[in-house]
Amino acid sequence: MSMSGKQRTDDGLDGFFEAARGYAPAHSPDLLARVLADAEATQQAGPGTEPAGVPATRDGFVAHLYRLLGGWPAMAGLATAALTGIWIGTALPEGLIGTAEAAYLVDITPEMAFDLAGGDF
Amino acid sequence: MTMPLDAHDDVPDEVLLVLFANGDGAAARVLTLRLTPRVVAHAYRLLGNRAEAEDVAQEAMLRLWKQARDWRPGEAKVTTWLYRVVANLCIDRQRRARGGSVALDAIPEPADGRATVDQAMQERARAEALQAALNDLPERQRQAVVLRHIEGLANPEIAGIMEITIEAVESLTSRGKRALSAALAGRQEELGYVDER
Repeated sequence: MSMSGKQRTDDGLDGFFEAARGYAPAHSPDLLARVLADAEATQQAGPGTEPAGVPATRDGFVAHLYRLLGGWPAMAGLATAALTGIWIGTALPEGLIGTAEAAYLVDITPEMAFDLAGGDF
Repeated sequence: MTMPLDAHDDVPDEVLLVLFANGDGAAARVLTLRLTPRVVAHAYRLLGNRAEAEDVAQEAMLRLWKQARDWRPGEAKVTTWLYRVVANLCIDRQRRARGGSVALDAIPEPADGRATVDQAMQERARAEALQAALNDLPERQRQAVVLRHIEGLANPEIAGIMEITIEAVESLTSRGKRALSAALAGRQEELGYVDER
């Protein structure tokens, strides 16, 4: 549609906008097929399917226990406590333990008391 | 259950999306045919490149399909939602490929076969000139001008799409048009415009 013979608007852009509206992009023939294939694939995936990139929900007994204990913060605390216990049980310096303490340890860690006493029991 | 294709012609987009979410194959086809040309046209006007516009259109439509089951009727028009998704995808691409050239050879062929060859060539030249000038605008000005003056949306809807105030829309379109006017001022006569004032 030509603007010739018409009075121009203040900014002279109306004819350009009109031309742009008349030139809707001619998309490639397979675009609609690709879009429709995506639509059908999404429909067939069903309501239980997570979108791509979203990890599936954890399942099973271990995952249930994991959630029951409070997730990763609680698991981190438990792991720290367990490692501390192992360290105390294996690396406590002998020089720091006197006879009285060794006797006390008999009650709580019989194996360590055996070692400190020279293993002659 | 799938309704016949022509039974969907007068059905609003939002209703078709609900039908789509319930597995209606005809709804998928009608939405694809109805919305994809608009989406690819909008993406093209923001990007100036047809191949990239098609990629953006396919991605935007895929996001719509995935959103269908969680669509909340009455909250936003489907087209408004799509314009926003397209704009975001285009901005992401432009920021990734900053400085990329504009593919003017990708300007589409005329859609209206009734125009004479001369008129068609002149209209095409005008569309190309406008697209080149649009490509030089800052992206928010370009988006506002395209939505207002080519897509023909009202300022409140544009404000919703761009998530800004109506006053900000008016400011962006005003500045965008000034820049376009300046860029195209020297080409009025070349492109067949005759000032009869």
